[in-house]
Amino acid sequence: MVASQTPRGQTQATHYRSYYVRATIFYVPLVIVTLTILVPLVWMVSTSFKGRQEFYSATASLLPFHPTLVNYQYVLTQLGYLPIYLRNSFVVTVGAVAIVALLSSLAAYAFARMRFRGRDMIFLALVLSIFIPNVGGLMSLYELMSFLHLRNSLIGLILYFGSALPIPIFIMRQGFLAVPKELEESALVDGAGWLRVFWSISLPVAFNALVLVMILTFVGVWGDFLVTFILVDQDATMTISVGAQKALVMPYATSITPGFAGLFATEAGNAAVLLLASAPVVLVYLVLQRWFMAGLTEGALKF
Amino acid sequence: MQRDGSLPEGRSATFRSFVKEARGLRREAWGNPLGYLFIAPAIALYLLFNFWVLIRGFLMAFTNYRFLVPNSNWAWNGLRNYQLMLHDHFFGDSLIVSVKYVIMILPTMIVIALAVALLLYRAPRGAGFFRWLVYLPVILPISVSMLLWQQLYNSQYGYIDTMLRGFGYANPPDWLADTHTALASIAVASIWRSFGFSTLLFLVGLYGIARDLYEAASIDGAGGLQQLWHITLPLLRPTFALVLILQIGLLYGTQEVLLLTQGGPANSTETVGYYIYQVAFTEGDLRLGYAAAMSLVVGLVMAVFTLATLRFLRGEAA
Repeated sequence: MVASQTPRGQTQATHYRSYYVRATIFYVPLVIVTLTILVPLVWMVSTSFKGRQEFYSATASLLPFHPTLVNYQYVLTQLGYLPIYLRNSFVVTVGAVAIVALLSSLAAYAFARMRFRGRDMIFLALVLSIFIPNVGGLMSLYELMSFLHLRNSLIGLILYFGSALPIPIFIMRQGFLAVPKELEESALVDGAGWLRVFWSISLPVAFNALVLVMILTFVGVWGDFLVTFILVDQDATMTISVGAQKALVMPYATSITPGFAGLFATEAGNAAVLLLASAPVVLVYLVLQRWFMAGLTEGALKF
Repeated sequence: MQRDGSLPEGRSATFRSFVKEARGLRREAWGNPLGYLFIAPAIALYLLFNFWVLIRGFLMAFTNYRFLVPNSNWAWNGLRNYQLMLHDHFFGDSLIVSVKYVIMILPTMIVIALAVALLLYRAPRGAGFFRWLVYLPVILPISVSMLLWQQLYNSQYGYIDTMLRGFGYANPPDWLADTHTALASIAVASIWRSFGFSTLLFLVGLYGIARDLYEAASIDGAGGLQQLWHITLPLLRPTFALVLILQIGLLYGTQEVLLLTQGGPANSTETVGYYIYQVAFTEGDLRLGYAAAMSLVVGLVMAVFTLATLRFLRGEAA
């Protein structure tokens, strides 16, 4: 454990004692928090690799001793729509991230650097709208999407998620304000157009803000449940976060499915579905954590 | 002009500053119309899918719009929806469930989040890892975390009851099927999923407090608890407000209930958010108008609650 490390340069017994007391006070609760967070997740990962026999055995261990891929094989080949749900999620998420990244950085650049009438008022209105509760929003969104024939449509989902722009604009504007003005002005004077300055000077410098916006949007869109649940009721356009629920309540034909009879447990199959549904966001979070945490704690959450 | 086409040193500087000034003047006087072009696509998308939806949601609260009844979109019915609400005992019951749910979830979540944030703020080492860890449940899709808890709560093969049996507890409760435990079980799952976000907000607030305040206090002989009470908590007031405003969606519990219990057993987990969802999207001719009216009322109650809390926080400061 981390707590057992000795402090540098302290040799007296009293210092040791106070250090250990301090470390215990800090790390005992933190270890409890860690376990509370991790045990359900470890259970999910390990169960998804357990075969039928091991799952139903009396001793439920948190580690699979005979790991098997049978659950994944089953859910990916026999739950016919699961690959389609996953594909839809990728299409919607990538589409929405692209729209948000492009539109929010363009708008934020104008809000940060260009002068036009009403600029600050429009920006203020956008930011304040973050705090207005969206009362009745689900109902009116349902009406709007029906009217536009965008229910059960991936395009509809992409457009709706792409319209969640106020927070990304706020974050991107902070990023652009940190770009040294002289850099842009000298380029402007040298005859470069605004679009060129935006694209080849400001955007690369504000790259961290852009990454943060993209991660936040990715996580938000991939994980959305309620809006997608209301707008989509057909398998062909359903995303995995909604499809996961459908897949879980579906009765599995454990004994009839050829090739899988007696090999897997329904609960283990469920765990495999959940793991597949969360793997992409966890992966993004793992790989890009440096940008994520720095961006959140140093800028985005400071309103 | 020099041979390579550039302006000679001396003139170049004046020329450039002149150009700069001229551009600046032009921008001051008429504005830069290109700016509108840059914000236009974002604003257009926002106006259609967010602003219109907001306005229409408000207007819909005064109609008898039923989705399956043709041409009822603008069937104004004044305050009729609100009269109906007074006699709708499902609505009243769901409000009571919601109040219970808020009492379970809000104080617990804030205490846990603040405690973890304080620990991480003062932790000798490893704060980066723990910060990463507490935010992990927040990024998981809500359906994954709720369905995962559904599996854990399962009375036959769920991990919680398996553990309890292992400790010799012969008849562990069927968490989500028992009217006494179902609502609290949802609250636990919801807190597990979302306290990390509040923790991060509190951490940002803590980092914003000047360190010399603590130094001065400890020179004056103030202990850890005194410092917490007289320095940290008062200075964190804006953060408390932010946590409340940004996590208010949690108090409706719509998605959590939808995924875990669908309001059962015996309507014991039917929060007002879930009742509104049912009226709008699963029952009868999908009474969107009445649902919008109910969410307007609940939204107003939430707004009053938030404002009262902000007032209280500010009043304490004075």
